Amino acid sequence: MKNRMEEIRKDKGIRQEDFARALGVSRQTISSLETGRYNPSIQLAYKIARYFDLTIEEVFLFEE
Amino acid sequence: MKPNRNIRYRWILSILYGVIGISLIACNLFHAVDDYWSGMGAALLVISVLQVLRLIRYKSDPQYKEATDTAVNDERNRFLSTKAWSWAGYLYIMIAAVGSIVFKLLNQETLMFAASGSVCIILVLYWISYLIVRKKY
Repeated sequence: MKNRMEEIRKDKGIRQEDFARALGVSRQTISSLETGRYNPSIQLAYKIARYFDLTIEEVFLFEE
Repeated sequence: MKPNRNIRYRWILSILYGVIGISLIACNLFHAVDDYWSGMGAALLVISVLQVLRLIRYKSDPQYKEATDTAVNDERNRFLSTKAWSWAGYLYIMIAAVGSIVFKLLNQETLMFAASGSVCIILVLYWISYLIVRKKY
């Protein structure tokens, strides 16, 4: 699944390390999420969207 | 499992390993068991000491605690671990299945039965696990 995590994070000037710490995951997980190699659980997706003050649909781009 | 409960469980397990290890070594000193068991006792004792050292560090070093908690709770890590176990199981079945054929061709009946038997056990365990997990989720 594609997402806008990297774009939004960079826009907000947040480092991967800080983002990872806030979500309680490793920096490698953030990296994998941003490159689309790993899809998050619904719980983590919620946490990410909430962290950015956005909805899940605004962060994650669903495609068939 | 709650973190505190998990830590308590690890403490108990570490101490238990140590007690079993020391007991086995002591039994060997009194010639009650052979060197195989004292070797296992020594290994358990080493594991116990290492686990206790890790637990002490976990308690006293906040940075280490944070890194450990993140590694344990990180969902990608859990996913990777599950995936790796799945691959390991699949590879084991493949290797044992091929091995049983090779051992049969080499007239190594005991090894052939051990290899094919282990494949059967793993498959039975898989189906039992599948039925349990299906009810759980």
